[in-house]
Amino acid sequence: MSGQLRLLASVAARHLAGRRRQTLVAVSGVAVGVGFFLAVSAMMIGSQNDFIKTLIDAAPHIIISDELRSPPPQPGVRFYKGAAIALRHYKVRNEVRGLKGWPEILRTVNALPGAVGSPNLTGAITLRSGGREEALTIVGVDPAVEEKVSSIADKLRTGRLRDLESTQGGIIIGEEMAQRLGLAMGDVVGATSASGNSRSLRIVGLFKRGQTQLSSALGYVLLREAQSLLGRPFIINRIGVHLSDPYGAQPISRRLEARFAYKAQSWQERSADLLSLLVTRNVIMYSVVSAILLVASFGIYTVVSNSVSDKRRDIAIMRSIGFSESDLQLIFIFEGLALALVGILAGWLLGYGLLAILGSLHFPIGGDNQRLPLDRSARQYAIAAAASLFSGVIAAWLPARKAARVDPVDILRGAV
Amino acid sequence: MQAQGLSRELVGTPPVILVSDVSLKIDPGSFVAIVGPSGCGKSSLLYLLGLLDRPTEGSVLFEGQDMNPLDGDERAQIRLASFGFVFQFHFLLPEFTALENVMLPMRRLGRLSQAQAQEKAQSLLIDVGLAKKMDKTPNRMSGGERQRVAIARAIANDPVLILCDEPTGNLDSQNSARVVEMFRTLAHDQDRAVVCVTHDADVAAAADVQISMLDGRISETDIRKQ
Repeated sequence: MSGQLRLLASVAARHLAGRRRQTLVAVSGVAVGVGFFLAVSAMMIGSQNDFIKTLIDAAPHIIISDELRSPPPQPGVRFYKGAAIALRHYKVRNEVRGLKGWPEILRTVNALPGAVGSPNLTGAITLRSGGREEALTIVGVDPAVEEKVSSIADKLRTGRLRDLESTQGGIIIGEEMAQRLGLAMGDVVGATSASGNSRSLRIVGLFKRGQTQLSSALGYVLLREAQSLLGRPFIINRIGVHLSDPYGAQPISRRLEARFAYKAQSWQERSADLLSLLVTRNVIMYSVVSAILLVASFGIYTVVSNSVSDKRRDIAIMRSIGFSESDLQLIFIFEGLALALVGILAGWLLGYGLLAILGSLHFPIGGDNQRLPLDRSARQYAIAAAASLFSGVIAAWLPARKAARVDPVDILRGAV
Repeated sequence: MQAQGLSRELVGTPPVILVSDVSLKIDPGSFVAIVGPSGCGKSSLLYLLGLLDRPTEGSVLFEGQDMNPLDGDERAQIRLASFGFVFQFHFLLPEFTALENVMLPMRRLGRLSQAQAQEKAQSLLIDVGLAKKMDKTPNRMSGGERQRVAIARAIANDPVLILCDEPTGNLDSQNSARVVEMFRTLAHDQDRAVVCVTHDADVAAAADVQISMLDGRISETDIRKQ
């Protein structure tokens, strides 16, 4: 059987060798399609990955906060399960905010494989300096743990997160905030909390301006410092969780929420709007590049179709010798397959070259020299090949069916 | 090989009758010539016997088996293994050399290895006097040479029946005589049946049986013992 397929393939090869120019055009069509598919999809997917990475790193992968998505059930409702109870106008007891039993939650989080939890206390304070006042949300952190959980350490222009520990009353604020208050590194600033506590803080670090995910109205202090400034000792109201696999955040956050009732928000939930935007972007990209690949297969159709009409006599004689209809169909499908395969190989080379060129370009953005984020994964090569192969075989199959239907008697009669 | 009440019409208004109620029997070892004026249906009869066309009525029996119920692939397999065709216009595949053309049916049948098929094709080409032309493509050969390649290809799979449509129509008298001699050898010495549709009086005269056709019917059967 394989010998016969080889025979059919060799007939197909001879046919193509006899029409070099058309073959070349069809092959380059596929090659250009595959090459640009690779270049475009590498840029799109590369930038998407870059964007998602920014989204993921913007904040901890999961944030457990001291909020509840729905109010806790009233004792009466809980006691008489399934009974017809309606409670209205009841007064909710004023509870002290904060994560209750947070050491337990933290232990559970840290016990998850690849997960690190960082306890935070956030609250509002006012910064005062030389008659100017600015509202600031402070985040109390444990620098050693926070470094593992968020990328704040990378966003610092000057100073280090660890400096919070070595300096009594240290604070890290944004460059913009510092500018507004006329402050610089090492300066002392007055801070007052809503509970009336007031003290002086020393600036030990500044984070870079132009960070969408880091509001300029955010400042970092030591957890103990925040607890004492906000008047809430031993209390935390947020646990940031870092996972070794950020894409598994959603089920883990649901499990944590089901267990502790506190709102556990994964990064996917926080960025649902942006993620759905990416889906739209992908749909657009794949429809455009599929169109390129589809148009490339028109070349294959033309070659195979011409080949079929040129070879009607050969088809007739092969049928009379005893080649079956499916043999003839296979010969012409092989022609399309060969064109597609050679085109794909050439397209891979072209795409590889284009990626090398794109990868070598530099763009100065915000003072940093940046390169295009490119996705060079083998998956894109495989997708391009599979799509071209598929459309190539379909493009060859349409005229090949015609070859199988050629009635040898018509040809023989016409020729005699 | 037998034909019983074979008819073939082309659908149309009025329908065109190509072959009408033809019955005949072809024995191994006989050289049969079918003669008649143009358009009498002799080529159509040949296509029916060669399983290239299906009759409107009647049936072809090959080795006692009715060919009508067979599907296209089964008929192709019988053509491949048991029939050989020679046409007026040679019909060699232009991209292949003489040797490759002769090997084509053997490779498709797949009973011989590549090496065996090549060896057999070489000996067939030597038999038809083309030892020096094996590696030439058809466009670099004369008409007579091409027809001899076509004959070598027709007998490559040792067919029991060889069907020819005006095999000498494009050849000069010297080449024609040579082809006729080959057919006689195939029939008488190798015990194959040769059926030849022809206008050529020399071919008809060399045959053992001469069937004359007129308007789709057999008008006369002339059996001559050799």
